[in-house]
Formats: sequence, C-alpha cells, structure tokens
Amino acid sequence: MIVIDPRIHQVLDGELGSDAVPAELRLTVARLAAAAQLLAVPLPGPLPSVETRVMAEIRRPAPSRARRLMRWFVTPRAIIFRVRPAWSLAFAVVAAALTLFTVGDQGPELAEHEGIAQFVGRFPEAQSVHVVGTFNDWRPGSIALEDQDHDGVWRATVVLPAGTYEYMFVVDGERWVPDHLAERLVADDFGRENSIVIVRPARR
Amino acid sequence: MGVRGSPPDAEVVALVLAGNTEAFGIVIRRYEAGLLRFATRMLGSRDAAADAVAESFVRAYRHLASCREPTRLRTWLYRIVTNRCKSHLVRRSVADVPLDDAPPVADPSDNEAALERADQVQLVERALAGLSPDKREAFVLKHVEGLSYEEMAAVTGERIPTLKMRVHRAREALLKVLEDHA
Repeated sequence: MIVIDPRIHQVLDGELGSDAVPAELRLTVARLAAAAQLLAVPLPGPLPSVETRVMAEIRRPAPSRARRLMRWFVTPRAIIFRVRPAWSLAFAVVAAALTLFTVGDQGPELAEHEGIAQFVGRFPEAQSVHVVGTFNDWRPGSIALEDQDHDGVWRATVVLPAGTYEYMFVVDGERWVPDHLAERLVADDFGRENSIVIVRPARR
Repeated sequence: MGVRGSPPDAEVVALVLAGNTEAFGIVIRRYEAGLLRFATRMLGSRDAAADAVAESFVRAYRHLASCREPTRLRTWLYRIVTNRCKSHLVRRSVADVPLDDAPPVADPSDNEAALERADQVQLVERALAGLSPDKREAFVLKHVEGLSYEEMAAVTGERIPTLKMRVHRAREALLKVLEDHA
C-alpha cells in the first residue's frame, strides 16, 4: 500500500491550493485527478433509460397491504450474521464447556479398573427384583432392579471392579432365579445354577 | 436544484405529492444519468445499475412524503441508490463484478489516443472494482459525482472523518495500481 503525502489529500479535498505544494506532489495530484476524471465522464453508448419502466410501475395502483405482506413472505431474503471473532471464541468456549459438562454428567464416573455390568430380567408379576452375587456377598436388597415403564422387564446398571462374578436375581424378596440370558451358568455348591457376568474395564 | 426553465426540486416534489404522478418524470430525467453512472461504477454492470436505479426511483416515489427536505432531493436519491447498490452487492460477491459488462470503451481502431484512453479507463475501473464497497462508494461519491463530504455524510450516514479516511485509502490503492502499470 502506498502512503500518500497528506498535502495531496488536502489539495484533492479542496482544503489546500495546488500552488501550496511542491511540484512533485502536484504531479501526483494531477495524476489522481485525471484518473478520477476518467470515471466522471458521461457513460459512453446508449444509456438504458429507466424512465419508461419507472413511470409504468408508479402509474399502476399500489398493491394492497395484504398483497405486499404476502410478497414479503414469499420473497427470498439473505440473512447476514456479523459476528465479532471475540464473541465467536467466547461462544465456542461456552459451548465446549457445556458439552463436556453434559457428557460428563451422562454416566457414572469410572476408575480405570472398573466396568459396567447391566442386569436385565423379565418378571411380569414381580413387585421387586434385586440382584445378588459374589460382588455383594449375596446380600439381598443391596442392588435393586427397576421396571420404569411397567413392561415387566427389570433393569439395573452397576459399576463393579473388573472381574468375573456369579449372581442370581431375587424376586419379591424370596424367590432366587438365575439369569438364563447370562453369558454363562455354573452349578453352585447347593445344586443350583448361578449366572456368570464378566465385567471388563471400561476404555478410558 | 433547479435547471433554468424547469421547476426546482421542492416544487416538483410538491406537485407529485399533490397527486401529479407525471411530474415525477422530471425528477427521473433530472437525476437519472448521474445515478446510473454512480450505480454503474458501484456495481460494474450497466444492467444491474439500471435495475438498482429503477428500483430506487420507484421506492423514492412511494416514500416521497418522507423526504423531509425536498431541496435536498438529490442527496436523498443518492442515499436510496446507495442502499440499493449495497443490497445488490450483498447478493453477489465483489469478485463477481462483471467487468465485461462495464460500459463499452472507445473502439481501439479509432486512433492511438483513444486506445490509450480506453486502457486507462479499464485500468481505473479495475482498480475501483478491487476496492471494498465502502471505499468504492466513498471514492465514487467524492470524485465521480462530486459530492462534498457533508453531502456524502448525508447520503451514507457515516461520519465525515470516516468518509475522508475511506477516500484517502481509495486514492492510495488507485495510485498503486497506476504506478504498477506505469
């Protein structure tokens, strides 16, 4: 970019007489003035007169308010957003923070050696279902399953240390039932079958 | 403004507002050439300029009652055309300014002087097309249409120092193009 001597601008703006500047500056003044003059001459060739079309338009009765409103609704319009970079950056930071916060809130916090076990059983008539196993020393009542939509399917999601566990469902506090959909079933010391769940460490 | 033998702007405006639609033809004939030239320099296309000016005249007619100072009708019209040109420019990138559609220059076969002049015009037009719309507007209003900075401020709604700065930057860009091609 060329920086022009301020006196040249003053002459071109009519704030200073051309005689008040040195000859070399007067040359630049003349050069710029001549270039501008090239654009100021009347346009060559036939001018596309707008008088006929304008007069035809304004002689027509103005459209009704409803028609103008309708035209406004159906005319495509450009919507321009002018955003300052600082605001964009702030918005991006807030959006990222909210996203991280939301994602972090979606599931339980897991340590490296922990995983998630999901227990699902279908007990349409049950009033309560619990899961017991080697992970809670077979103590009934500590891990309850829920049937939130009352379709008879009971579910629980539990965070456990990674490992292999035996378990059973306790229905209505008294009926011990193996999970036949488990990965494996094994016979226990009491002649019953226990289900096996393998909890793998969650990938972090 | 009044041309010898023709009524001044304020009188014409009063006639139109009184219901004499045909009197608006006087306004069109009085300012059409200058507005078309301005719009052509802004848009780089005669057809686009004609559309912008025609739309502006229709708009001016419909809102003539809101022209608070009929004696400054010219400035008011430039303001409307300026806004129409800006709307046209928003709809298309400045890079798309169709220089091929620019006003025809003199036939180079005419003579050597005409050829040189045609080259110069093309050079200045290209320099103008390379400016941002704000700077182009300021330069054209100042140097092509010969408006004062006060009139430019009324047309654009910008402050005079801002307009001066734009004109100065435009001159610098123009001078650079001229020197590069010297």
